[in-house]
Amino acid sequence: MARSTILIAENSFLIRKGLRSTLHSLENTEIVQSIDNKDDVCKIVNQIKPDILIINPELLPTNCPDLKRNFKNGNKLSLILISDQKNIKEELKADGYIHYLDGKNTILDLLQEILNEKNQNSITDKNADVISAREKNILKHIALGLTNKEIADQLFISIHTVVTHRKNITQKLGIKSVSGLTVYAILHKLISMDEVK
Amino acid sequence: MHIKKEMKLADVIQLNYMLIPVIHRFGINLGFGDKTVAAVCEENEVDLNFFLQLVNAYHDKDYFPKEELQSIPSKDIVTYLKMTHSSYLNEKLSEIEDLIEALQHTETEDEKYILLIRNFYEGYKNELTEHIMHEEEVVFPYVLTVEEICKAGVISEKNQKIYDSFSILKYQDAHDDVEEKLMDLKTIMIKYLTPPLNTNLYHKIIQDLFKLEEDLNYHSRIEDKVLTPKVILMEKSIKNLL
Repeated sequence: MARSTILIAENSFLIRKGLRSTLHSLENTEIVQSIDNKDDVCKIVNQIKPDILIINPELLPTNCPDLKRNFKNGNKLSLILISDQKNIKEELKADGYIHYLDGKNTILDLLQEILNEKNQNSITDKNADVISAREKNILKHIALGLTNKEIADQLFISIHTVVTHRKNITQKLGIKSVSGLTVYAILHKLISMDEVK
Repeated sequence: MHIKKEMKLADVIQLNYMLIPVIHRFGINLGFGDKTVAAVCEENEVDLNFFLQLVNAYHDKDYFPKEELQSIPSKDIVTYLKMTHSSYLNEKLSEIEDLIEALQHTETEDEKYILLIRNFYEGYKNELTEHIMHEEEVVFPYVLTVEEICKAGVISEKNQKIYDSFSILKYQDAHDDVEEKLMDLKTIMIKYLTPPLNTNLYHKIIQDLFKLEEDLNYHSRIEDKVLTPKVILMEKSIKNLL
């Protein structure tokens, strides 16, 4: 599974630090940056494209009012607000809300829930961590060193389908490189070691 | 806590042991007793400002004193990065390789799987080496040339050639996927491989891979957040010059 990235925008140093260390125990996530400056928010969000933005509403920039809109196409940023005003979540159409007085577990549960949702959406086959028979077949061809085009030709499917399968395989296995996938294929006896050049 | 010049260097290391290889790359050896950071730097002819900015940037992910770091000559940053490179190439990579090789000697049925790991690691090592060589042969000379042009205010014929041949944007584009294989290797060892009999050694290798990754991340932070922005600024001022 790909790592989820989190960006924290909050002007209180204590909250920033505290949040960072609290979120440290979330698996498979990474806090990419924390910012304390309203002017930087838009630029940095667009630059690093975090999966989750945790932001103090005071830092929401006025010149790019709808941070989420930029991410609708593909990037699916989740917006979490951190504030002491309870009704602000609905007002700003955020995905989550952290109150200043929330305990550690409340915060972690909220984040975990949002992460789970994200991962569900990103994996086409929701139930299976293990790859399907079709994917195994594709993986076998990848491991043998075939290009997307060659795989598509051999299996009579479009390149686009091959690419989609590849993406899913990588996501499920957590392995990105071709040589890594080859090792997996050998370990799971999809191909034998002698077949690899 | 930020590291300051009047702190004892020994205390600094107690604060974060990951700094041991960093200070070593500056040519500073352990055994400095109660000397302060400033004193040790002076003794070893290390630029105190640069040293402080760098160890703080290593120590604290959020510490980015861009302005101070911008004032450090690229030459010094490049020298430091080169020292880090050579410690990867000459020490870290071969240490892990030796461990993996030792794993192979344990004569179990898994031998062929260990061979798989070994070949994979070999591939990663080659990739990283290639990446490092590219930086040393193309990127760093370019950076130094850009700085020279900036200082001189004119472009000599020799510099023009190097200046035209590259741009830091190219570097940014190519500078992402070196850690992919390393992460794959960890994933495979953690998730998909049954550990061989010598589990202690196996665990040590995984831990070493994590440490290497952490160190590489520190390293590329300096490249991406300090060196690159600095070069971008210099490139801009050269454009204005032309």
